[in-house]
Amino acid sequence: MTQARTLFIRPTSGWRSIDLAELWAYRELLYIFAWRDLKVRYRQTLLGAIWVMGQPLVTMLIFTLLFNRVAKLRSGTDVPYPVFVLGGILIWNFVSGSIGKTGNSLLGASYLISKVYFPRLAIPLSAVVSDIVDFAIAALLLIPMMIWYGVTPGPEILLSPFVVLLGGVMALGIGLWIAALNIEYRDVRVVIPWILQVAMYATPVVYPLSALPERYRKLAMLNPMSGVVEAFRATLFGTPVLIGPLVWSIVFAMLVVFGGAFYFRRVERRFADIL
Amino acid sequence: MSTPSVVIDNVSKRFRIGAMRPDYATLRERIAGAFRFRKEDPETREIWALRDVSFQIEQGEALGLIGHNGAGKSTLLKILSRITEPTSGEAILHGRVASLLEVGTGFHPELTGRENIFLNGAILGMTRAEIRKNFDAIVAFAEIEKFLDTPVKRYSSGMYVRLAFAVAAHLTPEILLIDEVLAVGDIEFQRRCLGRMNEVARSGRTVVFVSHNLASIETLCRKAVLLAGGRVVEYGPAQEVIVRYLAARTATARMDLSAVERDGEGKARILSVELFDRDATAAIDVVEFRRPFRVRIGYEVHERLPNASFGLALLGRDGSRLFLSETYEVGRVFDLETGPASIDVAVVNPNVLPGVYHLELWISDAPGVSWTDHVRMVGNIEVVVGADTSRSIATLTSGMRGPMFVDTEWSAPRVR
Repeated sequence: MTQARTLFIRPTSGWRSIDLAELWAYRELLYIFAWRDLKVRYRQTLLGAIWVMGQPLVTMLIFTLLFNRVAKLRSGTDVPYPVFVLGGILIWNFVSGSIGKTGNSLLGASYLISKVYFPRLAIPLSAVVSDIVDFAIAALLLIPMMIWYGVTPGPEILLSPFVVLLGGVMALGIGLWIAALNIEYRDVRVVIPWILQVAMYATPVVYPLSALPERYRKLAMLNPMSGVVEAFRATLFGTPVLIGPLVWSIVFAMLVVFGGAFYFRRVERRFADIL
Repeated sequence: MSTPSVVIDNVSKRFRIGAMRPDYATLRERIAGAFRFRKEDPETREIWALRDVSFQIEQGEALGLIGHNGAGKSTLLKILSRITEPTSGEAILHGRVASLLEVGTGFHPELTGRENIFLNGAILGMTRAEIRKNFDAIVAFAEIEKFLDTPVKRYSSGMYVRLAFAVAAHLTPEILLIDEVLAVGDIEFQRRCLGRMNEVARSGRTVVFVSHNLASIETLCRKAVLLAGGRVVEYGPAQEVIVRYLAARTATARMDLSAVERDGEGKARILSVELFDRDATAAIDVVEFRRPFRVRIGYEVHERLPNASFGLALLGRDGSRLFLSETYEVGRVFDLETGPASIDVAVVNPNVLPGVYHLELWISDAPGVSWTDHVRMVGNIEVVVGADTSRSIATLTSGMRGPMFVDTEWSAPRVR
């Protein structure tokens, strides 16, 4: 890893740049962190990939039974409810899982932070990267499901990776804030899973945005995850998408990721002293 | 050869003690606190781990950093490694820096030896190309060819350390910072590591080396810096600094009580705490792993205590109690007259792993109810791996273990 020939170590204060150049210099470390996480995850759990797919599959079955059969929720289009809800579960699990993992990533890597220098941003970043791989594996589940229910994707499916990326950026942004707050305030990690759980029902995962009454729909559109989930399903199933929520999601993701990165950089100098 | 490779200029580092008490560090309390009147937390104290440290290291020089526990050696290495920032001052390092503050940083037990070489190498700052280039040499140095594809959790502790050191030994930075890593592994391996580090120093690289093993500092380093209380007290040829250090050793075996957490009503006060070997024949400043030691508590009684009991607990770095012992529990209660006195407590089997520990001490007049005097987080007792430890206890310092080391006997039940 190339480092400047001369290194100046001085106290710094206040805001500082994200230093993408240094992050780029350490890209191999970022890649290795993600690789390690994946390797360990798939080695420890005997059934590896099957587990990653099994979880959304079971959730889909339960949600279909509960929300479709019992609560009579519909997909709002001609897409069968199980496929519809699977699309929602996959993207939601990816984003909320990444938020949780990035949020806890620093605490999990405290033994590294106190022993060796590297750009601290590599830790939350690698958490999201490894989650994208998990998501890609879980998303394979869509293929047999869509064939079974006869849902043919249109050309929009080519846009789905961009939606996933948007979800990843948003998760990283929120995760960065949580990770940094987590170091100083240990109760943050207790609240986050609860918030995420509640947030899922406030997001059009088990229902389409169009199923909401007018006044609640406006409110739901303020939820930055609405745009991501709706857009992801739109790219898969060719369902109509509202541009407003999607634009808001993009704006929100950008704000939260840049704000998060700057806040993270601002407080990271204290990490080693606090941990 | 007279260009300085490392310039340390008035570096100071302040820590706040008490501000991070775990019960305070919740967002809920912080938010609640914002609505109260601003009140300084009385428990917050500042400690200067380093104070105006200045010295230079020439290029290609090996410098030993010695000093008692809490003298600031590790803090200085952490600043030079960019793990933590100085509070003031500046350090300039010319060249690529690698630091080795621990053997096997980031090793993952589930991954194989091969995978860990790449992981650890990357964490220490090597590129994949560099690791690949040195891969065979690393494996040969560690002597683990046969177990390359075995998860390291199945490694013996000796193999684990050999592998970890082998990766580090193949770092090729211009400046290498090393903290007490040779204290692991068997003697033969230690000798090989020393040889390897000698090579590194000879090849024109700058080495900063912290160790309790004065013999290895003497062989490896031409110059040394002696730190005490965060300040440089001696800088010069290694031998002279070591002599000075040894002379000062007994004088400072007494622990500093000026900044500890203290409470209690104060009918008696703990005034001094000193560390001795088991038979109180010599004052010590580090405790060898599994070697008994003695704590001498000097105190003064201001008001007669007819029913006094003494207590001691060993605390981990985070302040958690590892064990405690109280005199009244073993039926010893004292009738203390006013005036100064002292009491000894021998810790007979301190089965804690190498690391830094603190003491908690108290005098109680109503045992189990209240404290007459109570001090926490006293001293920095460093438990180190002794030179004569025959057992391969290399991984004792890895983060994978709990705090204790307990003798166990394994056997297969006899089949009848």
